[in-house]
Amino acid sequence: MSLKEYAEKLNSADEADRIYAAEDIGYWNTPEGVPVLLDRLGKEPSRAVRDAIFQALIRIDAGAAIEGSIGLLGSEDPQIRNQAVDVLRRKGARSIPALTAVMRDGDQDMRKLVLDILSGIQASGAGEIYAAALSGKDANVAITAVENLGRIRAGEFRSRIEDLLQAGSHPMLIGACLEALVGIGHESSLGAIRRCFPDLAALPDFLLASYLKATAALGSAREFAEVASLLAVRGPHLRPAILSALIALGSRCPQPDPAGNLLPALRALVDDGDSPLCRYQAVRVLGFWAARDDVYGFLVSCLSSTERLVRLGAVETLRAAEPAGLETVLAARALEESDEEVLQALSC
Amino acid sequence: MPDLTVEQFQSLSQVIYQKLGLHFDDKKIYFLKTRVAKRMAALGLLDPKEYLFMVRYADPDGVEMQALANLVTTNETYMFREYDQLQAFANHCLPEVLSAKQARGEKTLRIWSAGCSSGEEPYTLAMIVQEVFPQAQSWDCGITATDIDENMLRKAAAARYGCRSVNEVPEEYRAKYLIEDGDEYVVRRRTASLVQTLHLNLHDRMAMRAMRGYDFIFCRNVLIYFDDLSRKAVVDHFYNALNRGGYVFLGHSESIGRVTTAFKLKRFEDHLVYGKD
Repeated sequence: MSLKEYAEKLNSADEADRIYAAEDIGYWNTPEGVPVLLDRLGKEPSRAVRDAIFQALIRIDAGAAIEGSIGLLGSEDPQIRNQAVDVLRRKGARSIPALTAVMRDGDQDMRKLVLDILSGIQASGAGEIYAAALSGKDANVAITAVENLGRIRAGEFRSRIEDLLQAGSHPMLIGACLEALVGIGHESSLGAIRRCFPDLAALPDFLLASYLKATAALGSAREFAEVASLLAVRGPHLRPAILSALIALGSRCPQPDPAGNLLPALRALVDDGDSPLCRYQAVRVLGFWAARDDVYGFLVSCLSSTERLVRLGAVETLRAAEPAGLETVLAARALEESDEEVLQALSC
Repeated sequence: MPDLTVEQFQSLSQVIYQKLGLHFDDKKIYFLKTRVAKRMAALGLLDPKEYLFMVRYADPDGVEMQALANLVTTNETYMFREYDQLQAFANHCLPEVLSAKQARGEKTLRIWSAGCSSGEEPYTLAMIVQEVFPQAQSWDCGITATDIDENMLRKAAAARYGCRSVNEVPEEYRAKYLIEDGDEYVVRRRTASLVQTLHLNLHDRMAMRAMRGYDFIFCRNVLIYFDDLSRKAVVDHFYNALNRGGYVFLGHSESIGRVTTAFKLKRFEDHLVYGKD
């Protein structure tokens, strides 16, 4: 069939014919197909056909599909805008030159869309776009850029992000910078973060969660006691983040110091019916002291907990600690266990 | 080897949901962690952070996501699987379609079980149709059971199953629609005759175009193994294969809304189904 025939079918009264025509033009894969598809898109009432047209644009390799999709970013119809974002994201690095031009010449909505497109791409060559986003005045654009850079672990932007963190112009941007520095994962970033937040007690909850992630990823045993102390003074909603940080920090030192009331507090968390995930995490933290008789005894008692995630955590933790006679204990417990997954863990 | 942290688990769950449509809640942390550990060992990765990065940004063709899907999903199939969804079909969708057809004077009913594997699903649907709509025998009713695997289709055509496959069949259905034969069960001829097997590759777009005129399409726990583009293409074909007023059923955790906007979402009791207006 010729493009002319496909174009005729694309304007057929039959919806199925139009879907097939769009699909065929996509497989035909020539730049000449793009204007035909875009022309139909402008007047197409069926969402199914519009979907098929966008699928065809994804299949067409030519730059015309990218240029055409860039043009659709300015559409008033959010469905068309979103689909155009999807097409450009799928084009990956090939769309970078066109996106760079939009970043340079477009308004702030278009600049934000460019960053949204890049959020799914690990594309080289986007440095110019990110540099422009970080130095621009629009906080939304800068936040999205920082989030993207963290996700793709763009180490070359680390110091720029640390500078933005120090400047601290927007709370959301500060949070994004913290998360991005965690993603990039350079040890020296922890120093920059600490300089920015010398007093943990003064840190609002929404930033503390991000700070804890940074400490978990980049900190050492030195931070363990400080993070542990937060369990007693911060709300229950921060417990998962605190416990996660303790698990990460504790795994980097042989046996952290269970200062203060940490052990009773952790046991209470395991017992008191907090969320299953939190109880599981508390079991894992207790594992750092599994060599102590009292903790070992408690972990063994967790094998009989009514919460399966606590039982799974106890098996995992005891196995990691490798105490003598453990297999006998686990084998005895297996006789009482009915949950398939816990049984599997017990018999590993 | 560092452990998968809670944040990494949640992040990975999000990626899996976006790419496969499978939802893992917090209680599944241990399950997912053990599967990821297996994949990391196979790939020689030492840090879950690397694995997470890989599935997010270094897996453009979805090869690793598919390998993970194989570990986190069960290929187990049995009759009356995802019973709640079948109830929505039996109690709401099927009566609605049948009464609309009766009002129009039509006497045909077409159901497509796409990716039917060894046939448990199409025979389940045949039992439900006969139960909900006893007049089915006097109508032109047909259930097309397609699969890419010829061996599976041969098993489906044999209509003979072990205990595991029929374990969830309600007792009254079992007596009515199955015959016990030693340690196996055979689908009664009257029910089995509603099902026709057909070899079909869901990726074969020309063959897919021949599939038209269905009132219901069941494609449960199949599309999770496809990459995004193929999944969209298949769902587009489903749209064309479906009659207006018909319904498509995907797996319990799969969402068609992430794939296409063409279908209309409808709620029946607690169940969400996708229909073609």
